[in-house]
Amino acid sequence: MTVRDRLRGDPQILAMGGGGFTMEPDNPALDDFVLSLVRVNEPRILFLPTASGDPTAQITSFYARYARRASATHLSLFRRHGSARSLADIVLEQDVIYTGGGSMRNLLAIWRAHELDELLVEAWRRGIVLAGLSAGAMCWFAGGITRSSGPPEVIEGLGLLPGSLSVHADGEPERLPVWLAAVRSGELPGGWAVDDGVGLLFSGTRMVRVVSSRPGAAALRADLVAGELVRHRIEPELLGERGPGQRPIPDDIRELREVRELRAGLRRS
Amino acid sequence: MTTGRPPQIVAFGGGGFSMEAGNPLLDDYVLSLAARDRPRVCFVPTASGDADHYVVRFYRTFAAHCEASHVTLFRRERGGGAVEGDLEAHLLQQDVIYVGGGSVVSLLGAWRAHGLDRILKQAWRRGVVLCGLSAGSLCWFADAVTAFHGAPTVVRGLGLLPYSNCVHYDGEPARREEYHRFVGDGVRPGFAADDGAALHFVGRALERVVSSRPRARAFQVEPVDGEVVERPLAVSYLGDVQRNLAAA
Repeated sequence: MTVRDRLRGDPQILAMGGGGFTMEPDNPALDDFVLSLVRVNEPRILFLPTASGDPTAQITSFYARYARRASATHLSLFRRHGSARSLADIVLEQDVIYTGGGSMRNLLAIWRAHELDELLVEAWRRGIVLAGLSAGAMCWFAGGITRSSGPPEVIEGLGLLPGSLSVHADGEPERLPVWLAAVRSGELPGGWAVDDGVGLLFSGTRMVRVVSSRPGAAALRADLVAGELVRHRIEPELLGERGPGQRPIPDDIRELREVRELRAGLRRS
Repeated sequence: MTTGRPPQIVAFGGGGFSMEAGNPLLDDYVLSLAARDRPRVCFVPTASGDADHYVVRFYRTFAAHCEASHVTLFRRERGGGAVEGDLEAHLLQQDVIYVGGGSVVSLLGAWRAHGLDRILKQAWRRGVVLCGLSAGSLCWFADAVTAFHGAPTVVRGLGLLPYSNCVHYDGEPARREEYHRFVGDGVRPGFAADDGAALHFVGRALERVVSSRPRARAFQVEPVDGEVVERPLAVSYLGDVQRNLAAA
């Protein structure tokens, strides 16, 4: 076991509804937050732009944001890069794996074709931080809402995290009704709809923080309770001014608040 | 709809508009099979991740003399000039479906996820000419030799052609060695093509081998009495054919 391996903590996933270097060229708050999740100096971060077909623009933005602060590389599954190293060697030496947005259907199908899905699960188990937005966030959940074929529809994810995720809740509002209907019908488990700029941080399979790079952005939790759809708004911690080192709200306090909000929601419905 | 057209595949070891700027011989050969003044040609750039520059080069090459279109599996919600709506109906109406190069593993994964594997099989049966280079050649065969990540390996293609296939045969000496080893180890016999050489199949039978370069070669590779044997195939250089036509 290397020093690097020992410094890794519990499995962590940062699931963003949108934002970060591909969507917020002038706002580094979420990318700063990503790097704050690892304990090593000079973290190794790998970008997977698979869901968009490895476009040059995304890859360039990735390096512009991360190259000076981390050992940054990207992995293309479409272009040859002449490396004889196995995917396992490349993936499992990282501290952070960052998955871009795009087509979730293509993302999962292509990862499976390369057997990369299993490697990413292994990376997560070993404590390599998984961060991603949009398709690159929903893929870790039981399911989500994709526009891979045009109109929004339900899609199954890898299921590392219980619950469902819907993204771009403010930026692409047409996803939300499809997601709510799927939760109501039981097609998808309860979960979160998150705005652009909002990230849900999971330690293991438990959500521990909700952060945002933009004032006013929020997350929505929805569950099917006794046949009724129960929703409540979650106010994120605003990143930036106070920095990513802000103290997290303890789990028991958060749980208490959630129960209180859930009860309030039940009364309303 | 019965068209009376036989299934046809033209599998390039490499070449065509994306690899041979200024040399239209292989692309013109494919278009000649369509037997129509303005053939309907649809580009499928999946193996490159629908790279924009690749799509642009396709239109530059084909738009002037063909009804050109392309399919994107990555930006379906944004259109961008690609075919929207019913992919199946669009693809079945084509004279030629042209598959670009890139990663054959990524291509097959994305096709299966969108049902394109099934649609392309149907198009082939109906006589739509299928062609492509590199990954766009490998995909039609039962066994495809690819060396995209790490060491060469064999992946299962669509299997319209019940053989193995190896592309860029002249470009990378290691591929030849690996291909022979694979065939020796039980991968089915098949065909290897250099950059600039194209295997033209009618039904499942190899009809002829054509080339855009005078020295491009193609081979049949099969085990004979426990030895892997590479048999050179007769190649028609299309430049000569064109010159002869001009002279006649």
